[in-house]
Amino acid sequence: MVTREDVINIARLSKLYIAEEELDEMTKAMGDIIKFADTINVASEQGVEEFDNINNLKNAFREDVVVPSYERDEILKNANDIDEGHFLVRKRV
Amino acid sequence: MQYEMVAGFETHVELATNTKIFCSCTTQFGGDPNTHCCPICIGLPGVLPKLNRAVVQYAIRAGLATNCHIANISKMDRKNYCYPDLPKAYQISQYDKPLCENGYVQLSNGRRIRLNRIHIEEDAGKLIHKRGDTYIDYNRGGVPLIEIVSEPDIRSVEEAKEYVEKLQQIMRYIGVSDCRMQEGSMRCDVNVSVRPVGSDKLGTRTEIKNMNSITFIGKAMEYEFNRQVELIESGGEVEQQTLRYNDSENTTSPMRGKEDANDYRYFRDPDLVTISVSDEEIDELRKTIPELHFEKVERYVGQFSLSEKDASNIAKYRRIAEFFEQASDGVKNPKTVANFIIGQIFRRLETEDDKESFDIKTTAAQLRELVKLIDDGKIRNNLAKSTLEQMLDTGKPASEFISESDMAGLDESALEGLCRKAVESNPKAVEDFKKGKQKAVKSLVGFVMKESRGKADAAAAEQLIISIIG
Ligand SMILES: [Zn+2]
Repeated sequence: MVTREDVINIARLSKLYIAEEELDEMTKAMGDIIKFADTINVASEQGVEEFDNINNLKNAFREDVVVPSYERDEILKNANDIDEGHFLVRKRV
Repeated sequence: MQYEMVAGFETHVELATNTKIFCSCTTQFGGDPNTHCCPICIGLPGVLPKLNRAVVQYAIRAGLATNCHIANISKMDRKNYCYPDLPKAYQISQYDKPLCENGYVQLSNGRRIRLNRIHIEEDAGKLIHKRGDTYIDYNRGGVPLIEIVSEPDIRSVEEAKEYVEKLQQIMRYIGVSDCRMQEGSMRCDVNVSVRPVGSDKLGTRTEIKNMNSITFIGKAMEYEFNRQVELIESGGEVEQQTLRYNDSENTTSPMRGKEDANDYRYFRDPDLVTISVSDEEIDELRKTIPELHFEKVERYVGQFSLSEKDASNIAKYRRIAEFFEQASDGVKNPKTVANFIIGQIFRRLETEDDKESFDIKTTAAQLRELVKLIDDGKIRNNLAKSTLEQMLDTGKPASEFISESDMAGLDESALEGLCRKAVESNPKAVEDFKKGKQKAVKSLVGFVMKESRGKADAAAAEQLIISIIG
């Protein structure tokens, strides 16, 4: 069961703003999504090997050779806040 | 009541691969902040991590060198926790199918510290706290780590120190990590509990996080042991918690836990495919494991009659051990080689790091040439010593500093001449000797050695001098 409090909490953690009047609808929608995901539990595990993954691949390795990294400006582009070449998380007040 | 310490270790070791575990960024230490980064290691959505083959090989070698069973099949899992050093909000690690399991490290007292597992995972970024703000550098994020998890088999601070040193030596020897605790390429979490001696129950344990010095590990464990014993003796109970060691005060204090720390909601990483290693591949890797430190010590003592201490001092550093073995190859007495290394060469290598990197100008072949000159009776030890100094200064071979005439040695008549000269020019020493002062003869021998520039055979000179005086 998804409660209104769950939705408020998740929204806070994800830094999303949800208006009061959206909450009921959102709570129902999330409940439906989780119910849908739960259908996987009824799937049969018979004939499935423990290590099978969806595309049945193994050992997709990369060789240990250095490729130049990105320019720092590119790396920091998504940051909310930057200082002295660092990502910056400001003190919460 | 008497209590005993029960301790186990979780040791993180950064692997010395060229690139990170899931992307091709360099693993080089240092560098300006956030310059060793790409979309994969800063956790942007939609990227595809790809496992570095060398990480798997290094981890398997670490497992083989610590007597682990290597899993033919293993996989990567996501460990979820929310903290700014982890941009994806999960760390890619291994949960229920680690690469290596059930190993051990044997201590000098014969006790085996069992290893539960060794798994591979990615390192987190570095957080720098300034004025309450947090600065994040992701250069270290995605650097490959192995985590070596021991069973709670350690019973004293001494065992703990030896265990960490031994791991360090093994990992350096097989070349999977430089294990520099100062730079953070080896870090230990130590869990400690106490119990009455004789009991086989485990007490409630506390975990001291992120120790990066062997000295501090010892002090922190000592402190924690005493704290727990006092607590129990005064009727209290040990609380299971995570601690931080404060080295300035030599105390431990509880750490504020990470959010939802106990529920990591592990699940298989769907982006990373199964790791499969055949027995043949494991055997190939086994062949790359060199003779380890303690095995060398045993051999040096048995085969070359070195003292345990000398053997250990040489074997401790892989490069020095190799140098010693090459320089001793074919010489009559490897002990002479060992003495040159521990004496004159070590004098030039002051720090542990100096010894580890072993950057000297003289090659093993050059030292072997020099020792062979002693073996063949062409030069004496004193001359060899001064020659070695010149060789170490310049990198040139012994032949540059020793002339043919030096190597000719002294024939009997020349030696006798010098001995007579010694007796004639030192009447005081001769008097003393005649009065029964045995030691006086040494100064006469010294005179001969000096006059012959170290070429004379000291023992023969002493015999001759005594017969001349007598
Ligand atoms: Zn990267």
